[in-house]
Amino acid sequence: MRKVLHAEWTKARTVRSTTLTPLVMALLTPALAVFVGLTGSLHPTDSVFAGSLTGSVPAQITAGIFGVLVVSGEYGTRMIDVTFAACPRRGRVLLAKALLAAAVTFVIGLASCAAAYGLGTLLLADRPQGEPMPALAGVALCFAAATLLGLALGALLRHSAGAITAVIGLMLVPSLFGPLFGDLQRWITGAAPPAPLQKLIGISDASAAATGSLGGWPSLALLLAYSLLALAAAVLVVRRRDA
Amino acid sequence: MIEVTDLTKRYGNTLAVDALSFRVRPGSVTGFLGPNGAGKSTTIRMIVGLDAPTTGTATVGGRDYRTLPEPLRAVGTLLDAGAMHGGRRARDHLRWLAHSNGIPARRVGEVLDLTGLTAAAGRRAGEFSLGMRQRLGIAAALLGDPAVLILDEPVNGLDTEGIRWVRGLLRDLAAEGRTVFLSSHLMSEMEQTADRLIVIGRGRLLADTGMREFIERHSGERCRVRSPEQVRLGGLLAARGADVRPDTGGLRAGGLPAAEIGAIAAAHGIVLHELTPLLSSLEEVYTRMTETAVEYRGRAA
Repeated sequence: MRKVLHAEWTKARTVRSTTLTPLVMALLTPALAVFVGLTGSLHPTDSVFAGSLTGSVPAQITAGIFGVLVVSGEYGTRMIDVTFAACPRRGRVLLAKALLAAAVTFVIGLASCAAAYGLGTLLLADRPQGEPMPALAGVALCFAAATLLGLALGALLRHSAGAITAVIGLMLVPSLFGPLFGDLQRWITGAAPPAPLQKLIGISDASAAATGSLGGWPSLALLLAYSLLALAAAVLVVRRRDA
Repeated sequence: MIEVTDLTKRYGNTLAVDALSFRVRPGSVTGFLGPNGAGKSTTIRMIVGLDAPTTGTATVGGRDYRTLPEPLRAVGTLLDAGAMHGGRRARDHLRWLAHSNGIPARRVGEVLDLTGLTAAAGRRAGEFSLGMRQRLGIAAALLGDPAVLILDEPVNGLDTEGIRWVRGLLRDLAAEGRTVFLSSHLMSEMEQTADRLIVIGRGRLLADTGMREFIERHSGERCRVRSPEQVRLGGLLAARGADVRPDTGGLRAGGLPAAEIGAIAAAHGIVLHELTPLLSSLEEVYTRMTETAVEYRGRAA
């Protein structure tokens, strides 16, 4: 497993698509924190913490796209054949990719959201601070979960464009169409990957009517559970299917 | 040693590989020939564990490829030269492969040298010509210094110098006692590189022999005959059922063994200046042999 991890780490470091995506993700939240701070474009009741992390939902989508790219790029170039010929234990390959990619988005998510909160504190005055700890760690876990979900979709669909569309759809469609479903909205939107993130930062978008009454942490547990389930499904399929 | 036993791969109603059995032995270069769609690539993919056989087995060195702990140290494979990320530098491509099988980093420099890519090692694979990508793919196959090499169309896209280089390299590797198995549709190339041949058509084994025996056996009986009494001899041979045609400065007689032609000439007191059995080129033999097995034959215009 150590050898596979080493190989996957070398792979991820040496291609632009998998080095630039985390970079974009790292910059999104702090950049939006500065924008919100300078323009004051946030809900009057939102805390400094919530306002500073306005950009964390797009960043979470980027984390999901990163997860897709870590695996689907190999299917696009057929390099997956070279990978599976070198490492025939395909489940391990997928788990190594998952571990590395999730660790990357967790660490970058934690650092960039902390930086965004710092910037927001400097720029936003006259409002409650909010409670950044331990919510920040939960936010970073939301990023890691999105990465696992993206990776699972990339492995199942084997197609970058298709899997990226699926990830973005999964993130955005529930909150776009949730209101059409009346009372069901809280279930649909509340189960979507951005819900725990919004609840943890305490942003006013995440009202009980919109995202259900489940708390931030249980909501995070739900997201982690179905992300891991998707990963397990991907491992099973990749092991059985012809490469 | 590669051993394929009753290997079958079915896609829906199509039998891509049909109860194929053969062995590829160490110490020689074995060519794998067949028309497009004959099942060569599918067979190779099953040997290296990428596709699962419907029935049958394929082993390398007596083991299922997928159970090898560090497969690159046992088997070097070149599948498709395009199978690498265009944005990755050549050296990095070899580095991750080395890491994946615990191969020492110095081997990366060694195989880059061996394949003449040292100067291009810092360039991205996407900037490479097809020939250079083939060299990088061959470098990757040699990385683990494996006893078995499996190469799918290794000379595809190489220039004349590159083809000569691959030919020499494969012969040297076989001379060191390694098992070298390569598929190619370039038959003239195969004739000069391979010692043994495995020929398939429509997923079935058509031949598994030495190159020389293959050509001899399938050449048919054809001789070039020169004699001062050419017309008379031609008439006698034709009377015995030979297919006689004029040839530059002599006759070409098909359908009779050289010994019989000699005996006929002797019995009638005819002087012979030349009596040469003719061998077909691999290409001719192969074309004749696979004609019935061609899956995608071009329609005549």
